[in-house]
Formats: sequence, structure tokens, C-alpha cells
Amino acid sequence: MNAFEYVSAQSVDEVGELLAANGEATGIIAGGTDLIGEIKQGTARPSRLVGLHSVDGLRGVHLYERGLLIGAMTTIAEIAEHAHVRSRYAVLAEACDSVATPQIRNVGTLGGNLCQRPRCWYYRSPLFDCLKKGGDRCFAHEGMNKFHAIFDNGVCPAVHASDTAVALCAVNARVLLMSVDGARMMPVEDFFVRPDEDATAENVLQSGEMVAEIVIPTASPNLRSIYLKAKERQAMDFALASVALSIEVSEDVVSYARVVLGGVAPMPYRAHSAEDALVGMRVSDVDSQRIGRIAADGATPLSDNGYKVRLVSGLVSRAVRTLLCDESQEGRSP
Amino acid sequence: MTANSVIGTSVARHDLPDKLTGEAKYTSDISLPGMLHGKVIRSPHPHARIVGISTSAIDGTPGVHAVLTPFNVPEGRLAPDVPILDRVARYVGDEVAAVAADDEDLAEYAASLIEVEYEPLPFVTTAREAVEPNSPPVHPGGNLVGGEPLTLTRGDVDEGFEEADRTFSMSFSTPAHSPAPLEPRAAVAAWEDGRLTVWKTSRGVHADRLSLASALGVERDNVRVVGATLGAGFGGKDESRLSVIAAELARRAGKPVKIEATREEEFVAGRKRHSTETTVKIGVKNDGTVTAIHATTLMDTGAYLASGPGVVRRAGQAALYLYRCANVRYDGYLVYTNQPSAASYRALGAPQGHFALEVTMNHIADELGIDPLEFRLRNHVGIEGQAGERITPTNEIIDTQPVEGGIPFSSNGLRECLESGAEAFGWNERQADDSQSAGHIKTGSGMSMFIYRGGPGGRSSARVRLNADGSVQLVAGLMDVGEGSTTVMAQIVAEALGVPYDSVRVTFGDTADTPEAPITAGSTATFSTGTAAKQAAEALKAKILNAVATHMDDDVSALDIVDGSVVSEDGNVRLRLADVAAMVGENVLDADASVMPGSRDHIVNSFGAHFAEVEVDTETGNVRVVRYVAAHDSGRILNPQLATNQVEGGVSQMLGFTLSEEMLTDPQSGVTLNASLLEHKSPTVKEYPPIEVIFADVVDPIGPFGAKALGEPPSVGPAPTIVNAIYDAIGVRITDLPATPDKILGALNRREEA
Repeated sequence: MNAFEYVSAQSVDEVGELLAANGEATGIIAGGTDLIGEIKQGTARPSRLVGLHSVDGLRGVHLYERGLLIGAMTTIAEIAEHAHVRSRYAVLAEACDSVATPQIRNVGTLGGNLCQRPRCWYYRSPLFDCLKKGGDRCFAHEGMNKFHAIFDNGVCPAVHASDTAVALCAVNARVLLMSVDGARMMPVEDFFVRPDEDATAENVLQSGEMVAEIVIPTASPNLRSIYLKAKERQAMDFALASVALSIEVSEDVVSYARVVLGGVAPMPYRAHSAEDALVGMRVSDVDSQRIGRIAADGATPLSDNGYKVRLVSGLVSRAVRTLLCDESQEGRSP
Repeated sequence: MTANSVIGTSVARHDLPDKLTGEAKYTSDISLPGMLHGKVIRSPHPHARIVGISTSAIDGTPGVHAVLTPFNVPEGRLAPDVPILDRVARYVGDEVAAVAADDEDLAEYAASLIEVEYEPLPFVTTAREAVEPNSPPVHPGGNLVGGEPLTLTRGDVDEGFEEADRTFSMSFSTPAHSPAPLEPRAAVAAWEDGRLTVWKTSRGVHADRLSLASALGVERDNVRVVGATLGAGFGGKDESRLSVIAAELARRAGKPVKIEATREEEFVAGRKRHSTETTVKIGVKNDGTVTAIHATTLMDTGAYLASGPGVVRRAGQAALYLYRCANVRYDGYLVYTNQPSAASYRALGAPQGHFALEVTMNHIADELGIDPLEFRLRNHVGIEGQAGERITPTNEIIDTQPVEGGIPFSSNGLRECLESGAEAFGWNERQADDSQSAGHIKTGSGMSMFIYRGGPGGRSSARVRLNADGSVQLVAGLMDVGEGSTTVMAQIVAEALGVPYDSVRVTFGDTADTPEAPITAGSTATFSTGTAAKQAAEALKAKILNAVATHMDDDVSALDIVDGSVVSEDGNVRLRLADVAAMVGENVLDADASVMPGSRDHIVNSFGAHFAEVEVDTETGNVRVVRYVAAHDSGRILNPQLATNQVEGGVSQMLGFTLSEEMLTDPQSGVTLNASLLEHKSPTVKEYPPIEVIFADVVDPIGPFGAKALGEPPSVGPAPTIVNAIYDAIGVRITDLPATPDKILGALNRREEA
């Protein structure tokens, strides 16, 4: 790994100044659970890292009149354990539960989880100069791609690995970005960029900009939500596919639905047609298997990942079944 | 048997206090004054000629002390196909050069500045392509090792198929599989006056000494190898260049050198289980009688041979010997490719061979409408062995992996394993087929059985001495790889001599003090070194009793040793052993034994039967093993706790082989894609099922105190057992391991489309 300088910033302003002073060679480190691995592998080679742990106001879950504020430096474990998050935003609590291992959840942060780099093994290996690293070809298309995308996979099929991003999209969360030039806020969905816009980046962060806060609007009392994640092993694994489902039911009719898929596209993937199929249905008429099939419509699997089509269908079906039909909620752990 | 009975009790492990308190010294804990750190430069190409190496960027750099290249190494070899460094790189990650510097960071930096000029060569990454006529040769002489397959036959397999009412054939594949040991390999080398000492992760210090001495061109007696506490052996800890590179760097630098493999290096340049493709063809009568078995295995040894010939042979043992059958044939093709090198890994080829055979046998039983347990009870090999003519001359020791018939087993508890395992599992009361039910989670039960060689290894020696304080010293060249052999050897000595377990001290794993011993491999330590330790202890006992008889004018036949004291027939203590030691003074009482373990009349093999219940989630493709029963015939169990640990460990380890673990290399480039504990999916505590371990009530007439092999057998059963249970759950036979969700869901898709 290359040598780097570590600077502990004391304020958001100082973070901005440090980032602005040294351009691309300066990185931000939060929990470091992904970044240190990248530096060890040589995929990231920062000359300076700005640590955020001493910056006031970046950590904690706060209730306010219009919803919930979560500082970017809040750990995944803190969010998972937060009583209000658990009771009102089950999808986010469950997504946090599903991340990696207890050790990683104790140091990994929400901001870091949103900004983590893809797990694509061609991207992670220093021996491939792939599109994501500024090279001129993708090795996954003709190589081994069982973990790769089945949607939007024409350019770079590396999937976005974040569990929390998928859940946040399902509760219409917004993200606050800050830099020396000011702040901007946008839906979490718009935070991510498609590879055909820029294959080297997963999000809109500009050099010198950082994720400061996540804002989740107040949940309707009718909101039910769930996060299901399929993996090869039940700890320390990324999603083969995941689904974040949130649904509101009024007078026995689905009045609102968000179906967001993880592990199947370069960014969290909204299954709009499944949402449309759900909204307006009487609960007793919902055919969960049909919703599952619709959610997987339009998939364009690669050589090794055709199974994800069935997997997405099964997970969405199970999520719908669990929220609408199964009072015991037994389906919560896939 | 003395009244002592240390054998059969779960005495505390010898190494426990040091390991629990952190006092145990692993290789990475060893630090010497002035010690340098080495880094290896590895090939980015799967096959390339090394045209030149430029070190000009680091020449004269302070703190950089030595550089090793294929152009400046001595000409010796670690193995016939492994020079210290070679001018051809044969896999991505192959050792090309090395550097030693003051610290690890500097060594890594210096390594990054060494420029290697490669001439890429055509390469081949699959065994199937490698045996094609025009495939690029990985070594001179072609890719099929030996130029022909290993063919082993008994009877006439064609006749056997003619006798059959029905013939079945199935094909299987298994992946390259890393042991993923907690401790990556490491070595520290130091020279003094032309004499080399190496501390290393070792499973056989004497074998390591020989290969180091021969590679470096040093007299064997000028090399000392010390096996530090080992953080997992599993067979894979040797057969790589790490320690010889450390030694040669140290010689050049004139200072000690330490090299520790990174986790990634351990995965890529460590050693792993051979990937295989196996086809099994079996002929049966309608009543289930097996008339012919023909297995063919194509095995990828990767860039180097290592223990490949032994492994490819062992992959055939199940087909040749597990079922009573007069006509059998095994063809094993061992093939070089430009993949990272395979080598020894717990149970060698047996898991691959049994997986293919035992899944096919379940298919046959199902097709014939016979319960899989009943099918095996009718057909398993019995104590009489196979029909046929003995070929081994009568005065020779019988191979533990015979092909010929006409030789009985020394003991064979296979039937007891099948019956007691089935009873414990509740095989006959298992859940009815729910594969057509509405729920998404399907339950299934599966079983399989196995045979395993082991026990008798090579020539083994032990020395036992009465210390001045009355304790007993056992000295053996064996390496305790973490399985507990120091403990079991001390038990054997205590029992044979009649002393308390606590009074036996053990010296192991250092060539300076110990007689020759084979490596701790092939499940042979307890049987082989145990036999030597027992004989040495018996000889020492005779010497002690003679000395006491002479001194006290007793009748030697009326004396015995009980609980550490010499007693007379009436039970009166004549002398404590400390008094005996004082009595003989400088005429220290000791005894050596050197044995060639084995039998001239019997095959010594271990057996077992495994049972599993699984849940298969048809929506996610996940397989969960709900419970597991492992019934083993390993002869008399000398230490039940250690033996149970062995079985639980082997089953857990092979849960990964069956369901989630594989080393993946990119077919276009030969690059290993998942060389990390994150991407190489070893099971976690969330995956391990409760495992019930049963030992058959067998006392082997040949083994020390009745013991047979146990270390590797637990690894043989899990794959076919779990895969058979998956079939029972969802009606899909997985033939390509590991049975990951993509394969389960893909198979369900194919079945529904059909």
C-alpha cells in the first residue's frame, strides 16, 4: 500500500478546505472499512486522507418535525439499534442489520456505505485496467459475472454494493452534500449516476464535496416496509440481490409502493412497473408472484447471472407476501 | 493393559495453556536481531518467459540488502519441476524474484521498483483444454503428467457391464478449493557459520530439511528446521518456495530474513485442493447388485506437480474399493495447466472421488426403487475385502489403498457406521417428500458412506527417556499441526509405560533434537509415530524393570509400573520413577524404536457414514444444513474430545467445499479473482449445523491400542451427503460444486422449463 498523510479535520469547513487544497490526491476516510482495502489493493492511492471523526454534528440520528436526520458519520450499528428507525423504518433497520459483520457495522458509517466502491473483481484487481478505472474495456462482460448486474449492464455491469442506499430509496430519503462552495440536497436516487454517464464514478460527488447528512421524511403511520437480502453466506456477504419494499395501505387498498432492488444494477434500481402494478390493488387481490415477475421484467442477464432473474422475482414476491399477507412476518429473513 | 487407562480419556491438550494465554509462538511471532523482511515479486502473466530483470532502480538503496532473481539463484530444486526461481512463470502469482530490506514497507517498495521484462507465452487455464494435442505445454514433455493416465483395474470391467441389467453414467465437477488457513505461511531463515536454521510453518520438519538442503546445496546436517506453533495445517502448508527464498535471501544479505505471505498470497500462491471432472459409469442388476464400476477423473494440478500423483490415485479409491464389486476400473488423468498450483489438502482426492460415486449411487438406488441406506447395506465392502487374487507378495506390507482383491481388512466397521448413523439420524422416520408442497422451503435428507486409507505411513521413529525428576521425555520428529498429536503421543507413552499423562513431556517438531519422521499427512501420525512411541515406551519399561530387579534383587516378571511407580506383584511400591532415575544416575535409561507400520496380512482402512438434513429455499437458492450425523470407524478412539473435534472440523470445513467455497480464476487471463476472506466464501458460525459424532465400537488389531486413521476421513462425506439431501428436498441433482444459489436456482429453472 502507498504511504499517505492522515489529517483529522475539526469542522466541515476544514474538511472542505483540506479537500480543495489538494484535489484528487486527497480522500475522505470515515470508517475506512472499504477504503483501506482499496488502498491495500492499490485501487485507491491517496496521498492524504481527511478523517471526519472529530467533526462535530456529523454523527447521530435526530428526530425533527419533518422526519429524521442521520449524520453521515453515524455508524451502521447505531442506525440499526435506533428505536425509532426500527419501529418506523424497518426497511432501513433491516438493511443495516444485513451489512457485513458486527465489527464492520460498528465502525462503518452511513456516508461511507453510500460511497463505497463496487465489488466487481475486475475493478478490485490491480491486474485489470477496466472502464471503471479509466481503462478502455470491461472485462466482466466476457469474463466471470455471476455477481454482476442484470439491469443497465451494457457499459459497466458492476453492481452497487450498498444495502442502505436501496433502503433509503424506498423511503424517499434525501442526501445533503457539502463543499467549500456550499451545500446541495437531492433525492438519494439522484445521488447515483449511471455508467453510461460516467463509468468511473458511482455518484455525483464532485472533488472536494462530501456527504454530510441523510434526511428521511416522516413516515406515514400506515407505512409498512421490509428489506430482504439474498447472499451466498449469511454473514459477511454482499447481496446477490436484495429488495427494499415499502407499502402504504389505506382502506385495504395499496395506496403507495416503492420497490427498489439492490445487487442487480450499477445503482439502486427502482422497479417502477412493479410499483405501478401494486398501487390501486385491493390487498386480497395482490398476486405476489406476479408482482415478483413484473419486478424482473426487462432484465438482460449476462453469461453467468441468469439466476438473478428468478432470484429477484422470488425476493420481491416474498417481500410482498410478508408485508401484505403473512401476519406472522416469518419471511423477514430470507 | 495396565491399570492406568490414559487411553480413551479426554485429557487436556498439551498445547492448550500456551495457546490460551497467547504464549504460543507462531512463525510470525519470531523476530531475530538484525532481521530483514522479504517480499516476493510475482508474475502478472499466466505463462511467460522472463527475459530480463533490472534492479537498477534500487541498486545501492539504503536498507535494501539482497535481490534474488532467476539469473542469480543456485541451481538446486525444491522438486523436480520447481527450481528456487525459474526463468519461466507458469501462473499469475508465480514467484519471479524477491528482495530483502530493513522492513516490510521498504521491501514492498523495493519490489515495486524491480523491472521484469516478460515475453508472454501461450497459456491454458483448464485441464480439458490442456490435454488437447496442440495445447501449449506448461512444462517440457506435455501437460498430461507421465504421458498417460493412471489406470487401475480389478477383474474385467467390460464383462461386468455385460452382466448388468442396467447401466448408469453421470458426470461431475469440483472446484479448486483453498484451505483458507487462519495463519498464512511464513518463514524466518538465519545462517551462522554456514549452518542454516529455518523456523517455519511446517507439517514435517524432516521433509522440509531435506528439500531445503537439496535446493540450497547444503549438507543435510547443516540445516535445522524448527516447526513453530502452526495455525492450521490441512496439508497445504508446504510445497511452496517461500522458505527457500527466505533462506537464499538471508545467505546473500548475511542477515536473518523473514517472509510472511499476505492473505492474498496465501490464497494464490499457497496450495489448494485439485479441481476435477469425474465421470462414473456403473452397471447393476435389477436387484441392486453392482456388477461394474468405471470412474474416470481429469484432475488439474495447476502449474506444478507437488503431491498430484498421490492425489489422483486417491480420487479412485472409492470407485475401486467402497462397494463389493469384482469388476472395477479407474482412469486418472493428472494435468498441468497455467493455474495456481494445487497440492495436498485434507483427504486429498477422496472427497472428489466419493462425491461422484456416492451421488451416482443414490441416483441408481432411486431408479431401482431401493432406499439409499438399504442399497448401501446390501453392497458395501465387508471385512473380507474384495474378491480376487492377492498380488502383493506375502512378506510385503499391504498398501492401504489396494487395487487387488483377496485381502481382508484388519477391521471394518462400515456396517456399524451405516446402522448407528441411521439410528441416530432417524433415517427410517425421516420427513416424507415435500418437494411438491406449496411452501418455498423444502426439506430433504441425504446420506453417503466412505472408505479411507491412512494409518500406516512411512518409517517412523520415537525415543523415550526417563528424566532425572522421574518424568518421561518423548522425542519424535513429528509436527503437531494443530490436531493434537503431541497430546495423543503422550497418552500412548503414558499408557504403555504405566505413568500419569502429566508426567510425559514431549519434544516435537525440531530437526536438531529428533529422529526422522514423516510429515504429518495422510492421517498417519497416530498410527505410525504412535506405534513407534508405544514400542519405545514398552522397551523403556522393560529397561526400568530390569534395572530395578537387578538393584533390588527382585524377580523382574513380578514387577510392573503403575501410576509412575515400580510395584511388585502384591501391589507394594518398590521405587518411584524419580528414585529409579536417581538410582541409575548417569546411566540414563532410554529406548528408541523405529518402525515400518502396517500389516502383511490385512488392509488397514477407516470407514464412515454421514447423514444430513437440509432446507432448500427455492426462492433464494440457499441451502441450510439443519443437522448432521457423522458415524466413523477409526478404530479405538484414544482421545474422544480431540477425535470429536476432528470430525466436527472436517465436516464444517467441507461444508464450504460443498456449498460456497471455490477459487475462481478468470479464464481469459488466469488471474485469481477472489483471493480474500471476503470473496472466498468460507462458511461462518451462521452456517454450521449441529453435528452429532458417533464412533463405531471397533478395536483394530494392528493399530496402536486399536487406533486407526481419523484426521482426514471426516472431510470425505459432506459433499455427497449434502448433495443427496438437496436432491431429496427439491428433486435436482447438483453435479457441479459448490452448490451455490446460482446453481440451485438455475437447476430449478431448467427443471421447470423441461
